[in-house]
Amino acid sequence: MTRELEPLTEVRLGMFSFAHMHAASYIHFLGQMEGVTIAGIYDDDYDRGGRIAAQYNVPYFRRTDGLLDQQLDGAIICSENVHHAPLVLQAAGRVGAILCEKPIATTASDGQEMIDRCRETGTKLQIAFPMRFAPPVMELKQQLDSGMLGEIYSVKCTNHGWMPGRWFVDHKLSGGGAVLDHTVHVVDLLRWFWNTEVEEIYAEVGYELMNPGLGIDDVGMLSFRLANGVFGTLDTSWSRPDSYPTWGDVKLDVLGDQGLICVDAFEQNLQVSSDEAGKTSAVNWGSSGDEGLVADFVDMIRKDRAPSISGEDGQRALEVALAAYESARRAEPIALQV
Amino acid sequence: MRRVGIVGAGGISRTHADRWNQMPGIELAGFYDIIEDAAQRAVQRSGGKVFGSMNELFDAVDYVDVCTPGTAHVQPVIAALEAGIPTVCEKPLANSIADCERIVDAAERTGTPLFVAMVVRFFPQFAKAKEVLDSGAIGAPGVIRTVRSGSFPDSSVGWRKGLAITSYYADFAQSGGVLLDLCIHDIDYQRWCFGEIERVFARGMMFAGKEPKDHALLTVRFSNGAVGHIEGSWSYPRGRFSTRIEIAGTGGIIEWDSRTRPPVEVALAQEDGSLASSGSSPTAPQDDPYYAELAHFVRSTETKEPFIVTPYDGMMAVKISRAAIESLETGKPVNIS
Repeated sequence: MTRELEPLTEVRLGMFSFAHMHAASYIHFLGQMEGVTIAGIYDDDYDRGGRIAAQYNVPYFRRTDGLLDQQLDGAIICSENVHHAPLVLQAAGRVGAILCEKPIATTASDGQEMIDRCRETGTKLQIAFPMRFAPPVMELKQQLDSGMLGEIYSVKCTNHGWMPGRWFVDHKLSGGGAVLDHTVHVVDLLRWFWNTEVEEIYAEVGYELMNPGLGIDDVGMLSFRLANGVFGTLDTSWSRPDSYPTWGDVKLDVLGDQGLICVDAFEQNLQVSSDEAGKTSAVNWGSSGDEGLVADFVDMIRKDRAPSISGEDGQRALEVALAAYESARRAEPIALQV
Repeated sequence: MRRVGIVGAGGISRTHADRWNQMPGIELAGFYDIIEDAAQRAVQRSGGKVFGSMNELFDAVDYVDVCTPGTAHVQPVIAALEAGIPTVCEKPLANSIADCERIVDAAERTGTPLFVAMVVRFFPQFAKAKEVLDSGAIGAPGVIRTVRSGSFPDSSVGWRKGLAITSYYADFAQSGGVLLDLCIHDIDYQRWCFGEIERVFARGMMFAGKEPKDHALLTVRFSNGAVGHIEGSWSYPRGRFSTRIEIAGTGGIIEWDSRTRPPVEVALAQEDGSLASSGSSPTAPQDDPYYAELAHFVRSTETKEPFIVTPYDGMMAVKISRAAIESLETGKPVNIS
């Protein structure tokens, strides 16, 4: 029996800023998807925007309005963190759907305004948490759902990285360093795993500890309790030196009364030693979560369904990161509204 | 020839006795234990004689090795120091800070050498990591993470059968659970690497009513601003014991994981078609950490040089472990005085 395949509805997307390197990965995977058109690229950096537009043979727009006039179905926002709010507020109501890079914003009030505006204008707002689409993490989610670990006791997490430099270390543009950059990814996973919230957080934050003179936090050691009773820690530090074989990690060790599951989401690597690079590198061959993320976004537009990762999800993760900074300032645990 | 007497004939005494028996110039004189049967069994497997009292043992030896549980260190250790006999004390120095202070006072007052057996400093990978850190190869201290996790040390292992020590571990009020029994190694090691600890914050299962299971995740702040993380567990599935080191500095990182592929791996086809595999990471006898710590005690005592681990270090490790337990109880970070 053969099935008549319906032609896929064309989905027109605009890319707003390539300040965050994830944009390059998103456009790469979108370019391979059938029925997806990149209608154009906006970037406040003329050189960067023009170069990438030429590379993908799509129009470049110097102003957001120019791109928002292109009958877009969706906007993908990968600007510096502090520009997420103005870009989402401009796009809301002029496109049906927005995929906004994490963290949702740099302040809770910005995040809330973005959520409110999208709701008022009927715009779907999805936050880019690609780790939900990384196959090793998806397998862990299934294992947890199966109940195989029995009662869950604790979860030990790391999201280490290289010190990313650029605007990531400029507080005016990023809103925070290692703690903001890496807390939100893992907190989103924990909330997703158990449909729960972070109830209490304690944090030791190191300012320019690994990188003297950096001017922003580069070490974060978070200790949390979830509303479901699970306790854990999360190391968000940019503690990987330039000479390290890979950019960093996302690791999750979940302990329950029936055993232990350890996930290292980026452990599918070739070992490559190169005289030219002057070091040995881990080259990942695993499936990219970014591909699943943008495919899910396009699917949401086509099916006119609710986002799988909502603005509220982004807001809850942001609140935990902000509470971690507050905990470090006060040197005491902070209770969050659950 | 130097004669060594062991006080306390429980689990760790066997580990120590085996090393004393290998060491040139050392004769194992025997054991004293308040349970005479335990001393009798120890003598049968390890040699020497059963001493009827601690004083009888003190009269017959050059060194004393105290292997009683942590709750029972203070009396034999102080007695040995007052008798002027150089002494090894198994970790923890004592289970209470007050007992630690009494022991440290006695060591200072008598001037008798006292070595606290914080054996992790003598594990070759841990010792080498400290050496690399001290060489400056990874720059200044940043973030240190260590793991010491396994299943509960119960009596399912043959030779432990019948030992009173099992109920000691499971009684957290006595043993202090993983924080005092296990994490104390990592606390001491991290303090050795990064310097004094300013405060700790702990989460764990000590008061969760899951005995004998215990599990703790500890956050450490050092006086120099550096940050640490310690995992200790008696909740891992059996056979999954693991230790790890990760030391990140301003210019590099050191990592070691006991779960990486060992240098010797055996894969044997079984008759039923399944595979039996095992691995080992052998080292020379003198690099065995228990041998190395006891040899260090003998060498330093003979040459009158300071020990790598001082009584003060032993006391600080207990203070910080106790602070971690207090953090669990109060839900707050605890400053180290």
